[in-house]
Formats: sequence, structure tokens, C-alpha cells
Amino acid sequence: MSGSFSSLNTALSALRYQQTALDVASTNIANASTDGYVRRRALGQTVGAAAAPALWSRSNEVGSGVQSSGVERMVDPLIDTRVRREHARQSFLDTKADALTRVEGGIAEPGDSGVSAALIDFRKALHDLVNAPGSDAARSQVVSSAAVVADSFNIQARNVSDEAGDQRARALESQQQVNDLATQLAATNKIIATAKANGTDTSTLMDSRDQMALKLAELTGATATQRSDGGMDVAIGGVSLVKGSTAGSLEITAGIDSSGAADGSPVAFTVHPADGTADTVVSVEGSLGASAELLNVTLPNYLAQLDGIAQSFASDLNAAQMGGQDANGNAPAKALFTGNSAATIQVTVGFTLRDVAAADPLVGGSDSSNADKMADAITVDDDYQRLVNGFGSDVASVKRLSDNQRAMSTQIDASREQLAGVSIDEETVNMVMAQHSYEAAARVMTTVDEMLDTLINRTGMVGR
Amino acid sequence: MTQSMLSHQALGGMQTAMGRVAKAQEQLTTGRIINRPSDDPSGATTAMRIRSSMAMQDQYVRNGDDAVGWLNQADGTLTSVTDQVRRAREIALQGANDGAMGQDARDALATEIDQIRQGLVSSANTTYLDRPIFGGLTAGGRAYDYQVPGDSSTQVDFIGLSDPNGVVRTIADGAKVRVDVEGPDVFGQPNDTVFDHLTALAASLRSGNTAGITSAVDSLAVDGTRVTNVQAEIGARTNRVERAQSVATDSALSLKSSLSEVENTDLAKATVDLGLQNVAYQAALGATARVIQPSLLDFLR
Repeated sequence: MSGSFSSLNTALSALRYQQTALDVASTNIANASTDGYVRRRALGQTVGAAAAPALWSRSNEVGSGVQSSGVERMVDPLIDTRVRREHARQSFLDTKADALTRVEGGIAEPGDSGVSAALIDFRKALHDLVNAPGSDAARSQVVSSAAVVADSFNIQARNVSDEAGDQRARALESQQQVNDLATQLAATNKIIATAKANGTDTSTLMDSRDQMALKLAELTGATATQRSDGGMDVAIGGVSLVKGSTAGSLEITAGIDSSGAADGSPVAFTVHPADGTADTVVSVEGSLGASAELLNVTLPNYLAQLDGIAQSFASDLNAAQMGGQDANGNAPAKALFTGNSAATIQVTVGFTLRDVAAADPLVGGSDSSNADKMADAITVDDDYQRLVNGFGSDVASVKRLSDNQRAMSTQIDASREQLAGVSIDEETVNMVMAQHSYEAAARVMTTVDEMLDTLINRTGMVGR
Repeated sequence: MTQSMLSHQALGGMQTAMGRVAKAQEQLTTGRIINRPSDDPSGATTAMRIRSSMAMQDQYVRNGDDAVGWLNQADGTLTSVTDQVRRAREIALQGANDGAMGQDARDALATEIDQIRQGLVSSANTTYLDRPIFGGLTAGGRAYDYQVPGDSSTQVDFIGLSDPNGVVRTIADGAKVRVDVEGPDVFGQPNDTVFDHLTALAASLRSGNTAGITSAVDSLAVDGTRVTNVQAEIGARTNRVERAQSVATDSALSLKSSLSEVENTDLAKATVDLGLQNVAYQAALGATARVIQPSLLDFLR
């Protein structure tokens, strides 16, 4: 048999629990648009009879109210792992697509200002010289359009090396960010472990822990595993970067010096592991991995092909030019171009219009057959078109991959949001429920109060 | 389903729609469907190839213009050379009729022959764009000159630069045409030139050497035939150049239209596209405005 006041206590427990539910709902609403916030849910638990009754007591088996058994954070670790993986892929592809799009913009093809157009103009100037070998205007046109070809090669080479410079700066900054995040994550892990041990709510800490792990994944493709003490371990390429409360560090061991300049070798990464084992060279994914791939493969390949084209253009033209006789009667004539790469090719310093070798040295005079040979020596069009075509295809395919990946990551984000996101409607429903339960519990109190009033003030009044 | 899922979806949808509008707008404003190689890599290559061939065809047309200039100049000059040689032959025939003519009249004819000779020398030095058209590849300004420069009574020598290829112009892929004629082919080989014949004729007229005059009549006839033959050949070359030019003009035009097909925006299609994308974008905006606003709160008192 329960005591007269037990219902009052039951109502009180309901008031307290509904208060908590309302608090949780209001926190959810307050953070409805906070980045990385995971929806909480108040968990209620029936307060039943004592499991082991005292000697003469007996349960009435009705129960004695409700208690809050904690606040649940609505996450699914599996989905979170998936989110990190897809985000890492997305940031890899996005970084690559952005960089390639910028380089592509600098190619200026097809159009009137690229290498292709400069080659056309140069060939035209040479043909005009064939028609008028004695004309200074035609000669100076040849020299200046040769300079335009050299310039357009230079501009493209500079464009590619500028992009490489940007990527190096970006890689350095990302590396710094990775190490900062690793340190912060280790510190957060420590606080979570402590807080959990003394029973404090760790939801907010876990939100920021998950966000740091996600950011690390986006930067490096790092994988994360949850620890039993609530913290999170992070590994890059399988090598531990953060282990509990200790953080290792990521180092760029080759390819980029501390000032952001290239040191001539491919970019390589090493992790100094958190657990003190030996340093390990790792392959990095995410946006840092994309920068490394651009710096090690994509940009150098493009530049090497462009260099090859510029070099064969210069040597073909020089061979043709030097096989002829210039307007001053010199044979072999002065070389037209110097430099053996796209970045360094230029018209020989001091090359004047009378140095153009229009004539065959065996004929001389007003012969212009050598200018014709020079025009025929421009044979790099095909190679250049192939290069642009190949690069265009690369850019198009990376953009397409990035779009596909975006569809995938959006879907994964949606399933995470389904679970962890705050629905205002749902919270409103929760609030209304809590409010009504609160009112009902208050009514229980009033009812018990009236019952007690009846019992105390109105019983034993017979005959009065 | 949560509010932020809705807004993310709405945002994504709007951005996609706006991206499509931007694409259609870019195609309309630049007038080109290929604005960077990745828009259509093979199309971009085709466009580059066509541009390059187009430039070549334009160049062939320009080369042809230059060639026609040379050839017309040569043709006109040869017509006047023919006239002058014919006139010299007439004079020779006149001089050969010795019966009616006194030495004074023959001297007068000899003087006219001298004039014709000088006229022929200046024809032989005709230039096109400052180059003597009968001088081969010479860098100088004259094809023929007197042995003693300035003395028109001395022998006339070819001072041009002969070359088996001569002055050539490329008028089509791999097709070159010679646009000059070398002096000796027109005026005769050294020591057997029309100038030598005229000198001999003038001398025969002055000395009354009838046999000399008669042989001059014959050699001038040979000279005239040679010039006419060269002129016929020039005409044939002109024809060839003009035909090549019209082919080059045609192919430049057809290349231009292919380039436009590959590279340029189909305005009607792009305008319709832009309209459609715009409607889609507005629909996305409208839907977003409707979806984002209400929540349960709007319906609770």
C-alpha cells in the first residue's frame, strides 16, 4: 500500500521530466541551423517499484512516476564514417576540378589569342615574306609575330607554374591546418574522457569532435574510429595521427620548402605517429592529396608536353632559319629563337629584321624559298591540338566525376541530416506534448490536493 | 525530413537551375558554344584545325592576288614588247625595199630603230613592287643594262639572277606557280638578243647592207614569235592562278561555315534554352519560397 502523498511525488517527477523534455526541445530549436549540431532526445524511464522490497513492504505495482534517464545524441557512427569518406572524395575531386578549370581558362583555346592563333599569324607573316622578300615591313612582321608565338608559350607556361605555386601554398596551409586540428582533437578527446568519467554531458564536445574528424577527412582523407572513452582516433593512410589524448603530426618531407617554393622533387608526406612508432611515408587523399597529385603529375605532365612542343617548334624554325641567308648576306643566318622550354623560349636578343633568312644561300638575291621552308617548318599545330584536346578531356572528365560524387555526397548528407538534423515540426510536437503533460501532471497535483482536503477537512464531521 | 534538408535541397536545386541559366547565357553572350576546351574537347580541336586551314586558304588567296599582279604586269609589258618588235620588223621590211629609198630615209629609219631599242630596254626593266619582272631573283632594280651604263649605243646585257625555280607563289596545298619570266626567255639568249638584232639592223640600215637588213627581218620574226609564245604561257599561268584562287575562296567560305557550325551558338536554340532554364529557375525559386515558409507553428494558435 503506497502512502497518501506518493501520487504527489509521481506528479512532481512528471513535472521535472517534462521540464527536461522542454529544455531539450528548446536547445534543438535554438541549434536548428548550427553547423555540426546533432539533434538530442530526452530519454524517459518509468520509476517502478523497488526491485528488492524491504522486509515488510510490498509493491502496489503501479509505479511511481518517471525519471530522465539521459539525453541521447542522434548519430549513427556508420553513416558518419560514410559521410567522412564521401566528403574526402568530394574535396579531392573539387580541388582538382577547380585547379584544372583555372589552368584551362589560361589556355585561351579555341580563340584568337592562344598559341594556335599566334602560330597561324606567324605562318601568315612568313608567307607574306615569301611574296615580298625585299620588304622591310614583311620582315618586321615576321620578327614581331615570332615574338608573339614565344610570348603565348611563355604565358601558358607561367599560367601553369602560377597554379603550381598556388597549390604549394595551399598544401602548406592545409598541412598546418591538419596539425592544428590533430592537436585540438587530441585535447577534445582528453576532455571527453574526463567528462564522461565524472558523468557530465559530453554531447557538445562530441559535436565538435565529429566536426574536427570530418574536416581532417576532407583535408587528407583520414579515417576515424571511435574510442570506448568517447574520444576519436584518426589515421592518415592507415598511420595513426591522433590516438586518444596524444596527437602526432603530418609533415611535407619533399617537394615544397618552407617558403612555399618547389624543391624539384615530387611532393611526399610523412606522419610522425601519435603512438610514438616510427615515422611513416603515407599517401594522402582529400584536398591535400589533390594538391599533391596536381603538383606531382597533372601540372608537370602538361608543362612537359608544352615544353616539348615549344622546344621542337624552336629547333625546327632555327634549323630552317639557319639553313638560309639573311638580308645582309650572312649564311648560316642567326638563330631566330633561344630557350628550350615553353617558359624560356624567346626571340634571340638583338635579332633584327634584316636577320630573317628569306633566301636560299645557293641562290641569294631576292630569293624567298627559305622563308617558304620556314613556314613549312611550323609543324607543331597537330601536337598542340592533341595536347589541348587531351587536357580538355581531362578537365571535362574530372568535372563529370565531381558532379557524380556530389550527387553521392548529397545523398549521404541527406541520410545523416535525416537522423541528426532538427525538424522544427517535430520539436514543436515535442513541445506541445511536454506542455500538455506538464499541465496534466499539475492537474494531478490539484486533484490529490483536493482529495487530501476532503480527507483532512471534511472527514469526521458527521453530525456537526 | 527536416527543415534544413529542405533548405539544402532547395538551395542545391536553385544553384543547379541558376548554373544552367548561366551556361545558356554564356553561350548567348559570347555567341559560342565552345568557350573552353572542356566544353567539347573534340569540337575544340576541330575548331582549331578549321581555323588553321582557313588561314591557309586565305593565304592562298593573297598569294594568288600577288601572283596575278606579277603575271598581269608581265602580260601588259609583253604586249608592248610585241608591238615594238613588230614595228621594228616593219621598218626593216621598209628598209629592205631599197629601190625607192635614199640613204637619208634609211638613216631616219635607223634612228627610229635606236629609239625602239631604247624603248625595249626600258620595257625589259619593267618592275612590279620594285622588282624587275624579267630579272629573275636579282636583288637589284634592273634586269638589263647597257655595257657602258647610260650609253644607249653600247651592247645590252642581262644582269638579272637566273634560277631554275624563279619567283614562285604557293597558290594551293603543294601547288606552286612561277610568276616571273626571265629576260633571256623573252629577249633571246646572250649575243642573240633582240637588242643585238636591232643594233645590227640599225648598222645595216646606215651602211645600206641589204643582206643584213633582210637577215634582221628574219631574226626579228623569230623574236616576235618567242615573245608571243611567252605571252601565251603567261596567260595559261594566269588562268591556273585564278582557278586556284576561286577554289581557295570557296573552301575558305565553306570552312568558315563549318567553323560556325562547330563553334557558334545556334541562337534560336540557345534563346529557347535560356527561356526554358529561366522558367525552371523561377519554378525552383517559387517552390522554395512556398516550402521554406510554413512550419507547424503557423498552424498552432
